[in-house]
Amino acid sequence: MLIQFVLVLAVLLILIVFIRSSNAVYVQASKRIALVLFAVANIYAVMRPDDLTAIAHVLGVGRGTDLVLYALVVAFMAGMFSMYQRFRLVDRRYTELARTVAIREAEVVNVQRGLLSPQIVTVTTGDGDRAPVVAEDRTR
Amino acid sequence: MTNDGRVNDDVWVVIPVYDEAQVLESVIRQLLAVFPNVVCVDDGSHDGSSEVVLRTGAHLVRHPVNLGQGAALQTGLCYARAQPGARYFVTFDADGQHRLEDAVAMVEVARSGAVDLVLGTRFAEHPESVPLLKRWVLRTAVLLSPAGRKLKLTDAHNGLRVLTRAVADDLQITMNGMAHASEIVSYLGRSSWRVQEVPVSVRYTQYSRSKGQSLLNGVNILFDLSVRHRGS
Repeated sequence: MLIQFVLVLAVLLILIVFIRSSNAVYVQASKRIALVLFAVANIYAVMRPDDLTAIAHVLGVGRGTDLVLYALVVAFMAGMFSMYQRFRLVDRRYTELARTVAIREAEVVNVQRGLLSPQIVTVTTGDGDRAPVVAEDRTR
Repeated sequence: MTNDGRVNDDVWVVIPVYDEAQVLESVIRQLLAVFPNVVCVDDGSHDGSSEVVLRTGAHLVRHPVNLGQGAALQTGLCYARAQPGARYFVTFDADGQHRLEDAVAMVEVARSGAVDLVLGTRFAEHPESVPLLKRWVLRTAVLLSPAGRKLKLTDAHNGLRVLTRAVADDLQITMNGMAHASEIVSYLGRSSWRVQEVPVSVRYTQYSRSKGQSLLNGVNILFDLSVRHRGS
């Protein structure tokens, strides 16, 4: 049946996009376009259920509502993946924040314990392209 | 153990710590006898591991929340590489499974200048010391990773490593959880660093067994690795 082909293809496509994803602008944009298209398709499906059933028949699905259900499963999967990625990004920022706080605090603690010399003030983020800077504390 | 009368003040030992109060103190004291610079990153422990570190002469960095072992390692490296004169960075597990002699030997290999990064391997000399199931899973992990095959590694998940300054500056661990070991291997596969494995032995004590990561966690690691952001 045609629908099986379409669904399997859609799921595979989502997996590929998900695994190879980047934060490129076109990925962001295409996600939003897909969302709008999905909303429009849903409104159309509600307004003209007979058209939907006709499309369903072409694809080899019995009823239009079943087609909506299938589309929903695929859309749900894509949405979950998108959420997961967003979550990872947030997690990364949160880690950087916690790390910076931890290192700042550690410098105070370890200076008090006499392990670090107080002249050294470090400005640190763990981010690769902003390497930690060691700066002398110049008393003005 | 000898350190050839050398003062290891250009070596920083980074220990990620999570609920290791039981054995941590002896691990730190052993290390401090040879390596003057030890930094423990307490990853939000609840068992007073921080107080244990404060009793010793080791540096303490405390994550305000639990972030995972990979994040703790990266924090420790960030802290250590900001210290003047730091040239070699040793990653060491807090549970006492590594031997100090192995770390010393690996630092010597790094000092020779022939390699940029030294990894410990459990499989070179005494593979039978590793529990059978664990051995099998670890071997598979290496075979599954293209970078591991390329570098001809035998043990991708050993916590004992020595990084030279250049590698420590360049490495950025983004896998906060346990996937960082695989992340490091794939990073090495993409880079041109010279890597050498050195045989080490790992003590599988009752304690380290109970603390060791579950093999099922391998599933989580594979998932995290396969979906991470490429090139970011």
